[in-house]
Amino acid sequence: MNTEQVRGALAAAGVAGVLSVDPFEGIAARVRFDPTSATGVFTAVRDKLGFVHLSTVGGIDWVERYEVFYLLWSDPAKSYLLLSADLDAKNPHIETASFVWPSANWHEREAWELVGIGFDHHPDLRHLLMPDGYQFHPLQRAFKLHEPEELEVKVRHV
Amino acid sequence: MSEMWINMGPQHPMTHGLWNLRVHIDGERILDVDPEMGYLHRGIEKISEDRHYNEVITLMDRTCYVAGMAWEHLYVQAAEQALGVQPPERADWIRMMSDEFQRLASHIMWYAAFVQDLGLMSPFLYGMRDRDLILDLFQSYTGGRLTYEYMRVGGVRNDLPEGFTGRARQVLDWMEPRLVEYDRLCMGSDIFRRRCDDLGVLKADECVRLGVTGPMLRSAGSKRDIRKDRPYSRYAQVEFDVATADSADVTGRYLVRMEEMRQSIRIVRQALDWLDSHPGPVLADRLPRWLGAPYAPIGREAYLLKRNYPKGVGLSAVEEPHGEACAYVVNEGGEHPYRVKFRSPVFANLSAAKSYLVGYHVADIPPIMGSVDVCVGEVDR
Amino acid sequence: MAITTLWDAAYTLATGLLWLVGRIIPPLAGPLANGDLIWGLSALVFGAILLGASMINTIMLIWFERKLLGRFMDRRGAMHVGYAGLLQNFADGLKLFRKNTFKPREADNLGFYSGPTAYMVTSLLMFGVLPISSGWSDGSLPLSMLLALVIFSFAPLFIFISAWSSNNKYSLMGGMRSAAQMIAYEVPILLAVVAVVLVSGSFDLNTIVAEQQNYWFWGPLLLAMLVFSIGMLAEMERIPFDLPEAEAELVEGWNTEYGGMLFAYFMLADYLRALAGSILIVLLFLGGWTLPTYVPSILTSFPLAGIFWFLLKTYAVFGVFVWVRASLPRVRTDQLLRIGWMRMIPLSLVAVLLAAALVLVKCLPVFGCIPSMGG
Repeated sequence: MNTEQVRGALAAAGVAGVLSVDPFEGIAARVRFDPTSATGVFTAVRDKLGFVHLSTVGGIDWVERYEVFYLLWSDPAKSYLLLSADLDAKNPHIETASFVWPSANWHEREAWELVGIGFDHHPDLRHLLMPDGYQFHPLQRAFKLHEPEELEVKVRHV
Repeated sequence: MSEMWINMGPQHPMTHGLWNLRVHIDGERILDVDPEMGYLHRGIEKISEDRHYNEVITLMDRTCYVAGMAWEHLYVQAAEQALGVQPPERADWIRMMSDEFQRLASHIMWYAAFVQDLGLMSPFLYGMRDRDLILDLFQSYTGGRLTYEYMRVGGVRNDLPEGFTGRARQVLDWMEPRLVEYDRLCMGSDIFRRRCDDLGVLKADECVRLGVTGPMLRSAGSKRDIRKDRPYSRYAQVEFDVATADSADVTGRYLVRMEEMRQSIRIVRQALDWLDSHPGPVLADRLPRWLGAPYAPIGREAYLLKRNYPKGVGLSAVEEPHGEACAYVVNEGGEHPYRVKFRSPVFANLSAAKSYLVGYHVADIPPIMGSVDVCVGEVDR
Repeated sequence: MAITTLWDAAYTLATGLLWLVGRIIPPLAGPLANGDLIWGLSALVFGAILLGASMINTIMLIWFERKLLGRFMDRRGAMHVGYAGLLQNFADGLKLFRKNTFKPREADNLGFYSGPTAYMVTSLLMFGVLPISSGWSDGSLPLSMLLALVIFSFAPLFIFISAWSSNNKYSLMGGMRSAAQMIAYEVPILLAVVAVVLVSGSFDLNTIVAEQQNYWFWGPLLLAMLVFSIGMLAEMERIPFDLPEAEAELVEGWNTEYGGMLFAYFMLADYLRALAGSILIVLLFLGGWTLPTYVPSILTSFPLAGIFWFLLKTYAVFGVFVWVRASLPRVRTDQLLRIGWMRMIPLSLVAVLLAAALVLVKCLPVFGCIPSMGG
């Protein structure tokens, strides 16, 4: 499957919220969508395009915005598809994908606790890798890893 | 005996790694499961944001310590795509050969632990001894037995030593009849069949729904294997079959992994033949200058400084011994990757625990969890 | 007097001991020549010899298992302590002896301490009735085999007491499984023994061995021997029947909470029972300390020949058990109980029937005739 086919299939499905369909090396396409129409896009991608298998859900902290991406696979098309949505930096949240792809359950738990992206209506949003009650989101840029090389930097500047 | 929640772990001889399996049981029947992960979380993705691209490779070995080469391969492919680097052909073949040797070693390790949990004590040691032969091979060209730090962005660190292919072929010749012996000890044992048949059944459509990949999916009849569906490295140039089974149970997964071992031997033989006849460089010439530079930290926000290296994103998927592993590397033009995200197959396989554990006996947990082949390092990263 | 039985040896030793004391402390020589006192002391010495023999044999059995299991796994087993690791288990025993014995705070005092102790004591008690050679007992126990089996079957009770008093979910589950397993396999064992009793005509172990002078019972009573051996495997809780103490599932099963000397009691008792089981198999089916009559007499006439052959056979039988342990996976509890109740019992009944047929026929072509039935 290539970018044209994805674009065409999404247009034919009449899905609202698709912002752009760009080529991406090695996979079918990279689809940017509007997070407010997440469920519609998910359902269309799963049912109309045939991307039944969700590989992973991840979050990226771009400081001025958050990005959540979904990596999908389709057996008949033998290719991956990357969905991504830009989220508001102050309150990043998006509808959960675990009703469309049940495998998203744990991936979203991890993305929430590490990156801080909220997943609305997630059936079981609790800590997975971090201890219960951990207040921080380690993979955010603001969370600094303190390392010895800090000291080394000071030496070099002199 | 009323209902109770018992903890299998985090210290438990069976769990093979640090995780807690909370089981809700009623007598001997399992009513519910809740795996608790995170005991082995080391923050690999966060640490990677502070490391040079080549330094992340040390972390990849430790992600899944039983399948180090596969994870190194996964990361360097994604990093190469993000940085726009192409490895030379010989490096690609060496990587593929290392991958398949690693698959063989990982499956032997799985076999040893699996049968040990069932009570067969001798094959555990036979498997360990045979795996040692493969680890000796790894040591001869990488210097390490478990953590190799061998692959680099742009190729591999060094070429194979003299006489390596001869020794490797000897090991393969030794392994092939050993696999027959392993099989006879298990499939020929009625007790083994009774313990493993019709256990932990997870049908193909359930697997896909729940994100389960690898031998678990292939034991349910699906032919999905990234090496065939989306060939990376040089898998398109070698001949091998995808191992499948029909029963979707523990015995099926056992058969799939045994067959995968045989196919790995087949691939390695072809790789060794190619490597014998095609000498060449193993590291790309034109690499970004700072990739090989000694560690000179500028600061954590290096990506914001004026460096005109091209930006990029890399996505790679690898058929790791446990299933489908993916890596997503974001390069914002600095010396460190901006974000590294890994998809671990065991993460997804374990998330589906409720579907293949509920309804069975407590005594069935070791065979079922053994057939899932848990490696906690990659779940927790 | 000539020392022909173990009792004679004990008596002689006791007499000598008292005489020695009388020589060292002359005033005591008179009172110490009391017949009752000598008899009492010789009973103690008898018991001490039995205790020493059984314990040393058990320790040797553990050594044998470790080395043989190691060889099956392509390694050498214990190597360092003593020549070829012979002193390894003494060292292990000493270590366990030294260890602190912890009792969990909520565990029941009486049950926790008395469970393993009683288990160990009854396992040792069995060796008082199992003869190892013709001079071992003086034939004063006409029901010795029955007594041995009764003592053997006390185990489930004490295991259950130990498991329950540990106040631990895992232990309780393991203890229940263990008790169920042992009780289930008592029946086939007893029925197989009935087959032997039918053919030999007596419950006395000495008589049973004497009846095997023409042929060992493993020939015509092969089915009974197989049933008995498999039942013994389950009683000893060895693989393939060791689910109660399976590490993979329950950490250590019903002895999870035990450490130090109490744990040593369990381990020793396990191997004592393994030794007793092997001895029973040799006595009942493999002709005890005798060799077939057509064997040249040079092999049977050296001193302590009976004991030598007996021990050889016992260790060979145990070696087969170790072989089984090295080669087979574990059976699950419900499968195990199904095998016990639904397969072993019918088989053992068939064995009894075959033994009854043999008694009717009195003589068999290859094997010969039953002596006691006038064949």
